[in-house]
Amino acid sequence: MRNKTHIEQVERWAEFIRDKPLEEWKPKFNEFIDAQFEIAKRFRDNMEKTEEGRQALKRVIEWRKTR
Amino acid sequence: MDFERRIGDRNVLDKFTEDFCDVVDKCAKYIVVSGFVAISTGRTRATEDIDMIVEKLSKERFIELHSALDKAGFECMRSSNAEDIFSYLSHGDNVRYTRKENKMFPPEMDIHFVKDELDELQLRERQKIEASGLNVWFSSIEFNIAFKEELLKTDKDLEDATHLRKMFYTRLSEEKINQIKSMIKMLRRKR
Repeated sequence: MRNKTHIEQVERWAEFIRDKPLEEWKPKFNEFIDAQFEIAKRFRDNMEKTEEGRQALKRVIEWRKTR
Repeated sequence: MDFERRIGDRNVLDKFTEDFCDVVDKCAKYIVVSGFVAISTGRTRATEDIDMIVEKLSKERFIELHSALDKAGFECMRSSNAEDIFSYLSHGDNVRYTRKENKMFPPEMDIHFVKDELDELQLRERQKIEASGLNVWFSSIEFNIAFKEELLKTDKDLEDATHLRKMFYTRLSEEKINQIKSMIKMLRRKR
């Protein structure tokens, strides 16, 4: 979904980072990015609990090796 | 298989997404689509926002939804006037909501109303992804693959699609993906 609101959001975020001190935005930014990685990891951890899930993860890892 | 997640484990994005979706779910049918689906199914990448499609609502029902979001601590970044926001949405525009306390900082929910039969079908075939640990309605994996391969087509989207194909290989219907791609060609490409 690449739309006008997306561009506006990127500009707003860039201005926020430009205008605010690092110590104000960096912790918030890190928390937001870390949360995305945690959600992805939680899914993979849950997939590890079944044989079908482990096979799926194996396919993804093999594909990533070839990129 | 127990995919439960303890309430205390909820991170900032879990809370934002589930709290927002919980409010919308009480007022309308919705789906979360695109990048956040890839992340919720194990892809390690970042997105700036969460994309949501909401069923087409009457003005009265939308005002109820907006009021519920407002009470739950969310604000629309484009306007605080529910009638204006409804007007944007009913003209096919997107609007973004964030938490009031965030002061325009992410996460943000980017929403739009159902645009056509394709979106209506996405809503009808919505699903929850148990292993994500999120109590959220997502568009189906087949829909996400078809949109990314047939319409969006950036490097990031094509990688998302391959990730989804590898992860859900044994459960995917190629026939369904092709049907959706045909609908995309018919309904979206002519615009």
